[in-house]
This record gives sequence, C-alpha cells and structure tokens, in this order.
Amino acid sequence: MNTAQRRHHWRREAFLPYLLLAPALVLLAGMIYPFALGSYYSLTSYWLQYPKRFRFVWFDNYVNLVTEPLFASALEFTLGFTVAAVALQVGLGLAIALFLHGRIPGRGAIRALMLLPLMMPPVITALMWKIMMASTNAGILNHMLSFVGVDPINWFGSTGGAVASILIIDTWGNLPFVALILLGGLQALPNEPYEAARVDGAGTLAVLRYVTLPLLSPFIVLVVLFRTMDSLRIFDVIYATTLGGPNDATTNLHIMAYQYSFQWFQMGKGMAQAIVLLLIVVICSYLLMRLWNRASESTQ
Amino acid sequence: MNVQRRWINRLLLSSPLAMGGALCARAQDDAALAYYREAKINWKQADGQSLTIGLNKHPFTESLLPLIPEFRRLTGINVEYLILPEAEYFTKLVADLSQQRGEFSVIMTGPMRNWQYVPPDWILPLDGFLNNAKLTDPNWFKLDDFYPALIKANRWDGKTGGGVGEGPLYSIPVLAETYILAYRKDLFDQYNIKVPTTLEEMAEAAALVKKNAGIPGIVARGTPSVASMGTGFLSGLKSYTDGQWSEFDGKMNANFHDPRSVKYTELWINMVRDSGPPNWANMQWYDAMEAFTAGQAGMIADADFFAANYEDPKKSKVAGKVGYALIPPGPGGKTYSGLWTWALGISKATKNKDAAWLFVQWATAQRTLLNATLGYRNYNPSRQSITNDPRVQEIMGSWGNGSYLKVLAKNLETARVAWTPQPERTRLGDIWARALHEVYFKRLSAADALKKASVEMDKVLKEAGIK
Repeated sequence: MNTAQRRHHWRREAFLPYLLLAPALVLLAGMIYPFALGSYYSLTSYWLQYPKRFRFVWFDNYVNLVTEPLFASALEFTLGFTVAAVALQVGLGLAIALFLHGRIPGRGAIRALMLLPLMMPPVITALMWKIMMASTNAGILNHMLSFVGVDPINWFGSTGGAVASILIIDTWGNLPFVALILLGGLQALPNEPYEAARVDGAGTLAVLRYVTLPLLSPFIVLVVLFRTMDSLRIFDVIYATTLGGPNDATTNLHIMAYQYSFQWFQMGKGMAQAIVLLLIVVICSYLLMRLWNRASESTQ
Repeated sequence: MNVQRRWINRLLLSSPLAMGGALCARAQDDAALAYYREAKINWKQADGQSLTIGLNKHPFTESLLPLIPEFRRLTGINVEYLILPEAEYFTKLVADLSQQRGEFSVIMTGPMRNWQYVPPDWILPLDGFLNNAKLTDPNWFKLDDFYPALIKANRWDGKTGGGVGEGPLYSIPVLAETYILAYRKDLFDQYNIKVPTTLEEMAEAAALVKKNAGIPGIVARGTPSVASMGTGFLSGLKSYTDGQWSEFDGKMNANFHDPRSVKYTELWINMVRDSGPPNWANMQWYDAMEAFTAGQAGMIADADFFAANYEDPKKSKVAGKVGYALIPPGPGGKTYSGLWTWALGISKATKNKDAAWLFVQWATAQRTLLNATLGYRNYNPSRQSITNDPRVQEIMGSWGNGSYLKVLAKNLETARVAWTPQPERTRLGDIWARALHEVYFKRLSAADALKKASVEMDKVLKEAGIK
C-alpha cells in the first residue's frame, strides 16, 4: 500500500462512521428541532393572530396553569383515566391470556381474531363505537343491553357515560395488545417451577399467585409501561367522539393543549401544556422502566 | 403534466380525424364559456399564472370542482386546490395566513371569520378589484344581484365591537343561511299543538310532542363549542330580547350574565333537558339535523337550508310533513335571526392577486352559482336572480307546502349578523357553550355559570390586548 492509497483509505475510514450515522442524525435533528421549537414557544406569549404581541415570558405559561381551572380537571382526568384504563386492560388482558394459555379448542382462530381491533385506526374504532353507542334503544349496544333488562344508557350525553364510553372504546382497541404480549410471556415461562410446585402440592390459585405472576412480572410491567404512556396521551378516541365534553368531563391534557394551540391559536400556552404532559409521561415511563429492570433481574 | 398534455395535443392535431374531434370539443367549450365571455374584460390577462384555493368540504365546493377545467380554458390560469373538513380547514387557514406564506390565494371565509383575519391584515378588501374596469365588468357581474343584507354582512370597518355593514367588502357570498323553526306539522296537527310564537310556548310544544308522540320534542346542537351557539340559540336570544342584547356592553365587557340572557338560558336549557334528546350535550349540527330528518324530533331551530335535507324523499322520513315558522319573537313581536354566508376572499400574501380575483369573480358569477344550486343543492342562493329562477322556485317552493319561501323572505327582513365583531369570537363561543353545559348538568345556576363565563371572556380580551 503506497502513501496515497493509505491516505485515501484513512480518509474513507474517518468518513465512514459519519456516513453510517447520517440517517440517524437526520432523524434525530428531525425529532429535536420541532421539540426545541415547541419548548421555546412554551416560554413565549406566541398567539397566532396577534403577531405583534409576541414576547418572551419565561415561565409565565407554566405558572399560570395553576390558576387555570380547566388544568386541574384535565390533569385529574388524565391521571384518573390512565389508572382506570391500565388496571382494566391489564386485568382483563391477563385473564384472557391465562384463558388462552389453557388447552382450549379453536385457540389459534381466537388469537387471529383478536388481532382485528389492533388493525383498525383508533379514529375508525371510535366512530364505529359512537354509532353503536347511540343514547336511545336505536343504538345497537343499548338494544342488546335491553335484552338483559338494562335501561338505555346515556353513553355520550352524560358526563359519567362519556367517561365510561372512552374507557370502553380504548379498552376494546388495546386489550388484544395486552393479552397477546402476556400470552407470549406465559408461553415463554420455564416448566421447572411449575413441576416443583405441583410436587409440593400447590393448588391452581397458589400456582398463579406464587409462580405465574412473579415469573410473568417483567411482561406485566412492560404492558403497563406501554399502556400508561398511551393512556396518558390519548387523543384520537376523545377527539372523534366527545371533543372533551360534556361539561369537560373527558378533557385531558392532550385535548386541552390541542384546544389552546389549534382552536384558539394560543401556541405559547398550548405548548406549555403539552410539555407538562410530556414531563408526566417521561416521569411515569422512567419509574416503570426502573421497575421493569428490577422485575426482569429478579426473575433471572 | 403540462408538457405531456401539450405533446398529446400536438399529436392529436396532426391527424385530420383528430382535428375534427378537437374542433367539435372546441365548439362545446365555446358554448360553456360563452356566458363568461360576455363580460367586457380580458379573461386571459393572467394567462399562465397559478392559484391554490383553500376550500372547506361543502356542497358549494363540490359544485366548483368539475368546473375548474372550464376556468382553466377561459383564463389560462392553473388552479390547484386543497379541500379539508371545516375544523381542520380553519386551523390550516390560520396557520397559512399568520405565516403570510400565501399558500392559499383564494379562501373560503365569511363575516365572523373575517373579523379574525382583518385586524392582523391577512386578507384583501375587494372593492379595488370590483371598481377596476380592467378586472371587473360591473354590468355583467351585477353585484346588486346579491341580497343587499349578505353583501352588508361581509363589509366591516375593522373596529372591534361594531361596524358590520360599513367599510370595505372582504368576501363575496356564495350562499346564505338564516335560522328558522322547523316543526313536524303532522304531529302538531294530530295532537292539536299550537305553532309556538313565544319561547314559553316553544317549551310547551316540545313537552307536548314528547308526551304524546314519545319522541324528543326538540333537537338542538349541544357540543361544548362555538358551533353550538350561533344558530337557534343565539337567534332565539336576540329575538327574546327584541334585538337589544349582545355579548358585550358598550365598554366591551362580556354580558352573558345580563338578567335577560340568564332568564332565556334557563328557559332554553330546561326545554332541552326536559324535552330534548338524552344526548343533547354531544350533538353536532349534523346529529341534530339527522335526528329531525329521521323523524326523531318534534322541532329544530337551526339553519333554514337544512330543509333541503328534510324534504328529500330519498333520505328523509319526514318529507312533506314539515312546517316552517320564524323563531319565536320577543315582546316586541319581531324575530331577529342570525345570518351567515360562506364567501370567497383573497389572502393578502398571494402573489397573483389579479388571477385570484378573476377566480372569485368567475366562481361567484350568476351561471356558476346557479349550477351550484341546481346541480349540488347549494342553498340558499346568495343571488336574487337564482332564487327567482323558475327551476329553483319549483324546488324551494314545494318545501313545507310553500311555507318555506314565505318564512325565508320574512326572516331576511330582519336577519343580520348576530355576533359582535371582535377577533376572539371562537373563544367566546367556546366559553359560552361550556357555561351552558354547567347549567344543563346542574353544576351551577344559569346566573353563576354565565357570570363565570363573562369573567373568563373579559380575561381573554384583556390578554389579547383588545380591551
């Protein structure tokens, strides 16, 4: 190898890592730029239709959230909904996974059918349910409930009904995801602990409580993590059905930030709300990640 | 695309057979364009320029699309368009206007929307185009063919709190809507219910329909949004107070909690809660319209032109069974309906302003709008000559056994833009609608909820520097 060749080679080698990284860097820039811009706007009084009133206001938008009456209720709904949705979906998902883990006929077909809700765009899911959940007996859901003697439920026209509706629609759409992950986890569990438990004479419930659940815990924490992040920032289902109403009962932080930014064009305030939501998501995810690390270590 | 088409044209023209075909097409073309060529202007003056039109999904939009190639042949102007559903359309529009990028040259707007776009200087006054003989043939375009009330609605002097009907014209109306009461004449006759002439009677009629026919006595928009406020509710309130009440007092203080407004709100919400559908709080305009069309309500106080739906035997279960009346007046005996016009305006940031005006002039010309009404049910016409066209008279004249046109004519005598001009109208309506929910769900009394809304609105106006 002569010097020229070596230099050429050297240059190529020095260049190569950057070349390989380029797509990731472009992607990163594409992610960071809007985020940085949003963070900057959250420190300003940016209001689309009053360009002359644009000012840097430091943390005013964040401080003022405390006195914004809608913020408290939106925060409450965001957190309350997340707790309820995650508990419901993980609880039901676990039950379905355990059921499908047993040797039942047609398991393969059920598993395939369960994928259907996952393939539907959430807005379509929401609109489909909105039609089924008509408030009178004309709605198919109320019609079916009438056979078991339930009076028509005012799904979207009452505050409690609207919250329940969002919860049901979100659960319908995401339950299969939870069930399939947990089913995958169950099928990956080692056989030995079960045999040992059987030898020790443990009953079904004891096996579930002292063997299955601890072994499954990394998977459970994983689905809790995913579902928590998604439930905290749920938007499409609410936007397509209740728009945050009635009486702001289904307004979460995401809907509120949307209203401020794109309905009233107060970008500064809207961005501040979105960043508060982001912080909540980051903190929850961080705590759950730690839990996940601990859970997966302890089962190894 | 263009290069390709030119190439194909050349190829076609080179064969004598194709030449005959081309000439034939040319003749058809001429027949379609002859009407526009009567105008004493040079339609080709912006030949080769391009326009992008921002359109809201609407029957008028649908009527325009198939005609756009015709406009291209008439003027040589290339037109592209973007059609979005209403909420997304207005969001995208404000984003474009505020950045002054001029992405949209011609926009679909209307009186209340203009109040948001005029103060920051985002849209152009159109008087300059109208008075320019090079761009407009006034004898052909006939601005005075438009209902004067509609042209006035699109004029504004730019002053917060008033000045509608004065100052520059910012958009040319393509349709008009006012608000009337539609009721199930068959049920009213069957159960001997009187057509209401006061709000109290309206509530009574709603209760009687519910009791006798077992369906909601009234449907109305109820989502917590400005979209629920401006039609039946606001027209009713204006009428109830003889046109006296408005959202602001003389000093631009929000006035929701005015005692007359409190009283009206109590009556209205009680009526909707007691005799309305259970899902009122989640009803969009189309939910309300469809419920009435499906025979699921005794009354609806909303846009007059929904009649086109009620009276369409293919879609409607109530065709031929609907009566029309004015929204109940107040003690003074007069109804003051609100008024809205979809209209075309021009973005200030557009580069090809003359081309944009040629488009507006073409799209609001008598022939274009007549086609929109006859072919695409674009009601109500904004031009008097279209309402008076025998074919239109035949359709609209049959609605409600002829009562529709009479009620509409009477309504237009006093109908006017009901909102007070200020750029935060959307916010105001959203705050107000939320107050109605507080009352409906019995969280607060009408007086407290409306007082709270006033305080919140004052805060917004202050923050925006309007007060």
